[in-house]
Amino acid sequence: MRILIIEDEKALADEIEQFLSNAHYQCDKAYNGAIASELLATNPYDFVLLDIGLPDYYGLDLIKEAKSYNADAYFIVITAKGELNDKLKGFEYGADDYLAKPFSLLELHSRIQAITRRKFDHSKAQIQFGKFTIDINKRLFSHENTNIDLTKKEFDILSYLVLNKGRILDRMQLTEHVWGGFYEEDYDSNYIDVHIKNIRKKINQFDNQNWIKTVRGLGYKFDL
Amino acid sequence: MLLSNIKLRTQLALINAFSKILIIIIAVFVLPLTVREISIQEMDKQLIDKLDQLYKLLEENGIEHFIDVQDDAMGYGSYNILKEEYVSIEVSPDTVLTEYIESTQRLVDGEVLDYRIISATFEYEEYFYLIEIGKSTSAITLFEKNLKKYTFIFLIFLLSLSVIFDLSVTQILLRPFYQIIRKLKLINHPSNFNYAVTKTNTSDFKYLEESIHHLMRRIEDVFNEEREYIGNISHEILTPISIIKSKLENFSDNTNLSHEDTIKIYETKVTLGRLTKLVRSLLLLSRIENKEYLLDETININQVAVNVIDEIKERIEVKDISLTENLSEKEFTLFGNKELIHILMYNILNNAIKYTPGNGSIELSSKHINNTYIIEIKDNGIGIAEKHLPYIFERFKKFESGTHNFGLGLALAKTICNYHQLEIQVESKLGHGSTFTLIFPKKK
Repeated sequence: MRILIIEDEKALADEIEQFLSNAHYQCDKAYNGAIASELLATNPYDFVLLDIGLPDYYGLDLIKEAKSYNADAYFIVITAKGELNDKLKGFEYGADDYLAKPFSLLELHSRIQAITRRKFDHSKAQIQFGKFTIDINKRLFSHENTNIDLTKKEFDILSYLVLNKGRILDRMQLTEHVWGGFYEEDYDSNYIDVHIKNIRKKINQFDNQNWIKTVRGLGYKFDL
Repeated sequence: MLLSNIKLRTQLALINAFSKILIIIIAVFVLPLTVREISIQEMDKQLIDKLDQLYKLLEENGIEHFIDVQDDAMGYGSYNILKEEYVSIEVSPDTVLTEYIESTQRLVDGEVLDYRIISATFEYEEYFYLIEIGKSTSAITLFEKNLKKYTFIFLIFLLSLSVIFDLSVTQILLRPFYQIIRKLKLINHPSNFNYAVTKTNTSDFKYLEESIHHLMRRIEDVFNEEREYIGNISHEILTPISIIKSKLENFSDNTNLSHEDTIKIYETKVTLGRLTKLVRSLLLLSRIENKEYLLDETININQVAVNVIDEIKERIEVKDISLTENLSEKEFTLFGNKELIHILMYNILNNAIKYTPGNGSIELSSKHINNTYIIEIKDNGIGIAEKHLPYIFERFKKFESGTHNFGLGLALAKTICNYHQLEIQVESKLGHGSTFTLIFPKKK
């Protein structure tokens, strides 16, 4: 997968690149609108991360430009202005998703994966562990053929852990993913812990394996 | 003032009508009097003429023609047939020569009549005689009465005509003025400033409108500058935070780190999260204070409450708090900003959850009272000490006990209430819980 990172803050662009490269994406960077415009015209990208607060360009115009020569890249708009207007405008211009600064890189990755699942690779939406199946698109969780009832938040937490299996997810990353985090102030709260306890209880009705490991002082990790 | 808070159009009409009524009153009383005065003067002239004619007749014919000189008692009197005029000559008891005119009454054939009378004494062959020539004033009185009546009717007619005329003319003249006023009434935010020029030939209105447009442009510029400033601050602060956050995230992915170091990085991230939350709240406060949020949505308050409960439900369940929802079935809508009202309800409910221990209860209820809709959020949590109550809506108020740290949540709630002209009240007893009350006024 090829991704173009359009971000005038070099330091941030570099961090995004590092994270996504580790996740095996091929990344290009543009620190201004002019270079971005050129790169978009000459390269086929799967994803474009677009900071709309560029010094030389009205960021959203780049989406228009790209769409005008039929590029089928998916656009994830990033903004630091935090105005609701930006979000609505972004979607109006054809953006596929929206992130407000500061966002977690893991969350950014999860948004990319979500679009991928939705648009190209439906098979990735079904993940199995043990005799359990989790269908991300249909939001179903089952053991063999028995449906397991999860609340919305429980499903979000479990699927986030499963999609990032083997990686430690701290409470903050989980909270940000589940609550979006605008009004959220209780990163350290035990809400996540209670949800995890409930998920474990539901899983343990079917098998005794400890799928979700507690990482002391940090959060949780899903072990396959 | 009697004429305070009345439309200019009405004021003009009232003043016009008042001045015209004054004119009518003056006309009805003064005009007939003047006419009478003129008539009397005219009559006096005639009387003097007639006296001269009578003197001439006396000279030509001698007094004997009128009076039997031998008989003292006899006088001469002559009336015309309708008693409008009379002449009398008699011997005067006085021996002083006088001549005067007066209005007085005379008994004629058993009838008291008003006359204007010229009286003169003259000497004729050593005798003094008194002449009276009288002219009835009943004609004048009648004329005066009629004049009063017709002047009144005529003036009333003129008045009505001129009031109608005045009203329509002021209506036309003031039309641009009221168009400008209407335009101003529709403006409640720099985003809907209307610079359309009102058609008028009146230079004052042109000047008025130009001045208003000039002021509006200045306000809009200041508003936009402020907005841009807030946007820039937001960008300038949130971008470095974003860089730090990404660096920390990449850093903690490093598998060579010890668990303790990873925890330290995590704690730094949490602190950064607090800073982010703080910056966002401050920006939100600035945006509200800069009136960037439009109050142009029709909001069903109960629906917002239900949405907030839905959003926050899991926290209530996780804490094992029981929530009773008792919203009035008769719904209430207000005009405002949905996003802000949502934040308001969220913050208050979230606050209640935060300070209510497990197994506690929260009650959300609403009712219509008189001209208000009242929402109450009542918890049986830890409550707030009385001395802290006046300060809980203040920004960054620190309470020494450390039990409460309201941060910006309630300050934000208060700001949103002010912005929507709602009232927020709190009642609390330490250890027994708090009740937050939102009072929504009903528009008349």
